[in-house]
Amino acid sequence: MAKMTKHRLRSNTLPAVTMVGPVTLWLAFFVAIPLLYVLVMSFCSLDSGYNVVFEFTLANYKRLFDPNYVQIYMTSILVAFLTTVICILIGYPFSFLIARTTSKYKALLYMLVIIPFWTNSLIRIYGWRSFLGANGPLNNFLTSAHLADHPIQFLFNRGATVLGMVYCLFPFMVLPLYTSIEKLDKNLLEASADLGARKTSTFLRVIIPLTMSGIFSGSIMVFIPSLGYFFVADILGGGNSDVIGNLIERQFQSGNNWPLGAALSIILILITLLLVKFYQKLGGDMDSLGV
Amino acid sequence: MKLKQLLSLFTACTLLAASALTLTGCGSSSSSGENGVINIYTWTEYIPDSVIKDFEKETGIKVNMSTFSSNEDMLAKVKSEEEGAFDIIQPSDYMIEQMASQGMLEKIDTSKLTNLSNIDAQYLNPSYDPGNQYSVPYLGGVEAMAVNTAMISDEIVSYSDLFDPKYTNQIVLLDDFRAVIGMTARSLGYSMSTSDPAELDEIKAKLLSLKPNVKLYDSDSPKSALISGECSLASVWSAEVALAMDEVSTIKVVYPEEGAYLFMDNWAIPKGAKNVDGAMQFIDYMLDAEHMSKVLEEFPYLCPNGAAIKLMGSDYAANQAKNPPAEVIEKGEYIKNLDNDTLAVYDQMWTELKK
Repeated sequence: MAKMTKHRLRSNTLPAVTMVGPVTLWLAFFVAIPLLYVLVMSFCSLDSGYNVVFEFTLANYKRLFDPNYVQIYMTSILVAFLTTVICILIGYPFSFLIARTTSKYKALLYMLVIIPFWTNSLIRIYGWRSFLGANGPLNNFLTSAHLADHPIQFLFNRGATVLGMVYCLFPFMVLPLYTSIEKLDKNLLEASADLGARKTSTFLRVIIPLTMSGIFSGSIMVFIPSLGYFFVADILGGGNSDVIGNLIERQFQSGNNWPLGAALSIILILITLLLVKFYQKLGGDMDSLGV
Repeated sequence: MKLKQLLSLFTACTLLAASALTLTGCGSSSSSGENGVINIYTWTEYIPDSVIKDFEKETGIKVNMSTFSSNEDMLAKVKSEEEGAFDIIQPSDYMIEQMASQGMLEKIDTSKLTNLSNIDAQYLNPSYDPGNQYSVPYLGGVEAMAVNTAMISDEIVSYSDLFDPKYTNQIVLLDDFRAVIGMTARSLGYSMSTSDPAELDEIKAKLLSLKPNVKLYDSDSPKSALISGECSLASVWSAEVALAMDEVSTIKVVYPEEGAYLFMDNWAIPKGAKNVDGAMQFIDYMLDAEHMSKVLEEFPYLCPNGAAIKLMGSDYAANQAKNPPAEVIEKGEYIKNLDNDTLAVYDQMWTELKK
């Protein structure tokens, strides 16, 4: 018996520890401990010099229910929702095209989604700002082509914020959609046609259900970051339509209230967990969230 | 197969981009000079490299620079580093007060600073640091108004003019709650750091009436919206107005008659600094008129060093945005730290304005 345990230790435990150990340590140090730190801080108080002191309080959580904050959560969720819907509407046909094309340009199309990632998103958002500005190329074109009498105000509203979010997060929708559409079995589409289904009903009753996992994981990966992308709301929205990310950023900066910032972050984490739970309930595959 | 390679390439690039992001802002080398090393922690884009190089050449002291972009970042970093990590830091007015009250700063023996007399009297002995015990002023700014006279024909003289309902969607403001709430307070004749509940109620009501007039909040480059003509009015830092005036001749600077928001960034020595002598030598070097005028050529901020302004010539001295008149400084106000409850009230009205 003892011999067997020893043997098992060598054949199972040791490889497991050496293989999984580093990853576990990594996760503990860079994910679990920081998250725990945020959680602990959200219950801390401030002294008169704005220093964090370890004195238990629920005051931070009480402030989360400030009606102004609640309204910002709501608009932020609305912005995230719009962003997600637009990403699906544009991303789905696009992914379908890349996944199904037999053209030699398939790799090129795929690259088109990825290349923007090589430039920092902050810089790309500033690019949009100068492109859409009153003296930007778009307005110059519109006025010189007499399509508009005077420059159109594209920037500094919620629409511009949504545009920036869609632009930044679009690849996160396309990549999982692409994977799920690629996996689609062509025989099933033929079967559907053989059984007399028209193209629309094949699409609605076969293709959509089979690629649902891609839609869900794409949605989650677009929805969650767009709650936090404060720089898009700042640069394109002109600071007129704050998202949850702005609230958090402000408390860690000028607001000088880290515990409140931590409590706001906990809200964001809770929304994320809830959505992931919901996704799992609907039968989503956790692996496909990991792109 | 090809796609898999692409995917891994993509992952690698994202990781690279992410690490590049986290690395920005911390660049310091550690080789030592013949006469020791000083570690300086300053605002970004505030001291020209050439000035630092000259200092190293003249004194043989090696300078290690690192930079921050907000007082709060700086404070957090100084707190988290071990004592003695920095020899010189550059807090603004209210942050001097905050750090001094927490015993985080060394006293500065101003008698050792031979060039201190270059600083105009009105910048010495400031409200945030009586007697300049902990700080020596470097550069600062005024929250000035800018008016594009090609678009606005009315005469704008005060902060309260910005609240006129006819300027709907025309104003650019700083994305800074102390600046915007402070401006509102001044327009009602109150202090920018008031904690009186009745005054705060009044300020809040007036602040919210400003909402329809604001097109955009921008602290990074508010001049761009002025230059492009997207905004015809602004209440932003004077240096931004100066730069906008250089580009568009119809833009004028206006200092509010209620008295403006002032800020001043200062040299200070954090508690436990390892090379106080080197730090003092550096501060004195930067007080020299000629060295300071080299700074002004690149960064035309409000300069307390009168001797340096003289060296810049009459055009510079006459430019009201680059060199705000003395009475503006006299009438101006520095912000003060707020107690936690008052800060929460400010935060609440700011959130309500921005939602």
